[in-house]
Amino acid sequence: MNAMMMLVVILLPILAGIPIPVLPFKNRKQLMWYVEGVTILTSVLVLLMLLNRPTDSFTLFQFTEELILEFRLDGLGMVFAGMVAFLWPLAILYSFEYMKHEGHEKIFFMFYTITYGITLGVALSGDIVTMYVFFEMLSLVTLPLIMHTLTREAIHASRTYFYYMIGGAACAFMGMIFVLNYGGSSFVMGGTLDMAKAGENVNLVLIGYLMCFCGFGVKTAMWPCSAWLPKAGVAPTPVTALLHAVAVVKTGAFATMRVTYYTFGTEFLRGTWAQNLLMVLIIFTIVYGCSRGLKETHLKRRLAWSTVSNLSYILFGVILMTPAGLVGALSHMIFHAAMKICLFFCAGAVIYKTGRNYVYELDGFGRKMPCVFVCFTLSGLALMGLPGMCGFISKWNLAKAAMESGTLLACVGSVALLISALLTALYIMPVSVRAFFPGKGFDYEKISDVKDPNWMICVPLVLLVIVIFYFGLHAQPIIDAFQMVASGM
Amino acid sequence: MGIWILLPIILPTVAGMFLLVSSFLQHLKSTESELKTADSSLKPIVLITLAVSVAAALYVSWTGDKSITLFYFMKDMPICFAVDATTALFVTVVSVVWPLVGFYAFPYMSHEGEEKRFFGFYLVVYGVLMGLNFSGNLVTLYLFYELMTVTSMPMVLHNGSREAIMASLKYLFYSMCGAYMALFGIFVLHKYCDTLAFTEGGSLNLALAQGNETIILIAVMAMLIGFGVKAGMLPLHAWLPAAHPVAPAPASAVLSSIIVKGGVLAIVRVVYFVVGADVIRGTWVQYAWLILSLLTVFMGSMLAYREPVFKKRLAYSTVSQVSYILFGLAVLTPAGMTGALLHVVFHAFIKCTLFLTAGIVIFKYGKSRVEELEGIGKCMPKTLWCYTFAALALVGIPPASGFISKWYLGQGALDANIGILGWGGIVVLLISARLTAGYLLPITMKGFFTEKKPEEIGMKKGEPPMAMLVPLMILAFVAMILGVFPNGLISYAAQIAATVL
Repeated sequence: MNAMMMLVVILLPILAGIPIPVLPFKNRKQLMWYVEGVTILTSVLVLLMLLNRPTDSFTLFQFTEELILEFRLDGLGMVFAGMVAFLWPLAILYSFEYMKHEGHEKIFFMFYTITYGITLGVALSGDIVTMYVFFEMLSLVTLPLIMHTLTREAIHASRTYFYYMIGGAACAFMGMIFVLNYGGSSFVMGGTLDMAKAGENVNLVLIGYLMCFCGFGVKTAMWPCSAWLPKAGVAPTPVTALLHAVAVVKTGAFATMRVTYYTFGTEFLRGTWAQNLLMVLIIFTIVYGCSRGLKETHLKRRLAWSTVSNLSYILFGVILMTPAGLVGALSHMIFHAAMKICLFFCAGAVIYKTGRNYVYELDGFGRKMPCVFVCFTLSGLALMGLPGMCGFISKWNLAKAAMESGTLLACVGSVALLISALLTALYIMPVSVRAFFPGKGFDYEKISDVKDPNWMICVPLVLLVIVIFYFGLHAQPIIDAFQMVASGM
Repeated sequence: MGIWILLPIILPTVAGMFLLVSSFLQHLKSTESELKTADSSLKPIVLITLAVSVAAALYVSWTGDKSITLFYFMKDMPICFAVDATTALFVTVVSVVWPLVGFYAFPYMSHEGEEKRFFGFYLVVYGVLMGLNFSGNLVTLYLFYELMTVTSMPMVLHNGSREAIMASLKYLFYSMCGAYMALFGIFVLHKYCDTLAFTEGGSLNLALAQGNETIILIAVMAMLIGFGVKAGMLPLHAWLPAAHPVAPAPASAVLSSIIVKGGVLAIVRVVYFVVGADVIRGTWVQYAWLILSLLTVFMGSMLAYREPVFKKRLAYSTVSQVSYILFGLAVLTPAGMTGALLHVVFHAFIKCTLFLTAGIVIFKYGKSRVEELEGIGKCMPKTLWCYTFAALALVGIPPASGFISKWYLGQGALDANIGILGWGGIVVLLISARLTAGYLLPITMKGFFTEKKPEEIGMKKGEPPMAMLVPLMILAFVAMILGVFPNGLISYAAQIAATVL
């Protein structure tokens, strides 16, 4: 397939998204068909592209001799693009129902659609400069989505978000200069460092790596830069669900994979102090995120803290710097996406139908919103790592990779995974127990206004639960695909 | 042939799910008051399902070795079921106790309400337990172990009171904590074992393990403590006395007699079928395990002795008695393991009888404290006789069954080369037996021999309904008779012990 195709899938949602506020839609329905149509068309094109991979790269233009905008689709990009392309149409479907009560829909869908194109841009970037450009654009274009409600809290949260992102990007930029100085900018499995040159200044290059990793890691809310994510929970649920559990934050994880495996190269990094330092930070984040989640009673913020912890699972796989580690990281990237989006959608459905935000307000909801809370419970169990669901598979792969790498720190990491799993049980299960078993003599009349939402919210939920079970019971095909990616496709 | 293994796992699970869904839908449609009337179709569904699955389970487990691999989570993670002698033993115990308690539960649950939900979970848990017992490798075992926790939790919180909900969450979190510790062990063993399938004597790859003994031993210890949570071993035993008093009596009966044995089975599998007894013999793991189990035996009895709430007393008694089993496993000798397996069987029947008695008292008179039971023998002599037989068996007075298992446990401890812990252990077991007599028998004494006149007792005379009394009598009778004619069982248990040690 022609490499031009890559440009098409990136530009289609961006160009179709920009004019949404001025297009003369007669009613909501037309807007809905337009946005859903664009999204599905893009997703279908992405799918076709994945099935028929363009092997050559496509250069859009050159800033200078070194700084070029180049697109290429390799295995890692395919995984990321495939995940995004599957989830976006579902989230759009959900948003149509959800955004009814938020207002300003045209503006919302404009930015939401543009974000799709830019996320695909990150996935298809062929070198670190292109990735950086799209990475920056992603920060900018999602900013209005966080401020959407224009409350004081939302504006404050968006400001925090912006500072964190700018800081992270600046840090990553400085790291990128090291990349350009000591090696090539394009992505090659195994790294592009000029060993002879880098060998003279090992520590300097490692500092560069550290800056790159931490800079991109701000988007994955790695400690100490994790505070923005729970704050950003004020955004409408489709944003928190798709962007702050998947698209934006996983762009960060994706970028760290690129930096570690495709730019600096694991040969150079393995066993250095940089690896150990980052691993300590990541292991700490895994436990820290969960503990904060346990303390939080606001359901969406609790889930956001859980995301902080789970994103660090992915980073843990990345930092193991073995092919098996990358397999673990990729599997958690995909599986966590399904589980966490489902959880957020459930939390959003509760907010949409009842306006209730806090965990202690959910007594007895299970009987009134059966679909939502059954899905919530199942995806919660998956997040805890119950065997037979996808969370167990990724945890198994991560722990297996950690055991194989054999260092003490990796072993501690696998213990951290299990501690975090226990904490996950502690913050997820009480919600379900409350909802289904409110206690003796609970008066259901009090919550007689509570009902399941309509099909536009329930269908995405059920589909995601099916995905969770499918990958939990039959993981080998997708793991094989990840193994191919990890071995350099 | 192996396909038949799936029947006792799938049938009750499906039937139970059906009941749960139908109960849930009823709640959605109708108001609370309409739900008071019990559903007449419930009893036949439960009984037929249990009858078919029990028959299938017994048939499958007693007709020779077979196995089936269902599917693969991933290439190296098959979900497979197999039958061996250990499976047959555990399956038989579960399959005898489960339907009996089921009969008992019909009248009992009519006063608790929400029968459909209870029996739904009751059937699902049976299916899950069958899965646990038939599992052929460690991953399958872990799968069903987790499922057992999640599906048995709603039975604990059945009455919906605040204490019940808190107790069930406690149960859930303790079990999860244990499961994750065990999972850590599985991660490690996956690297060092040739296969996670159960192999007699273990499948640790000695060449790979060379030089990595520390991590392997840590992993085994984590698994012992982790699976030990279900078996009520120190330091994570506290869920038992919290969960048992609040659960309905049939639920606490099976929890105490059957589900805690899930932990025992998991430990048997890990120690004797995956790691191999030789690996941990003489290491700090064995000593730590011995000490933990002995401490639990002693502490459980002491706590039971001073506990005034009847069901809680029995729960502490379970803590103590299951650690007899763990002690027998920990000495790593054939006699010890024989004693442990015998005690698995005996304790299941005995503890079930005791809990069902406690349930009858609550059912008939609503009394839950020991001091309120004075004169109870005059009101319901048959029930109290059953209780007394079971209590004598648990204390270990010959010829009742507990004596046999304790004899083997003691012999096993002396055979093992574990120094002071050998005879010291026997002393602890004997002290604990005295304490057992001390906390169980006063109920009989005060029940039968009271100075109060009948009208002062304040309880109406009369036995419970036949559906409750008959299962109780059968269980008590089995507990006695196994002690009188134990030879078949002993040689069976000894045979299992001989294959793995």
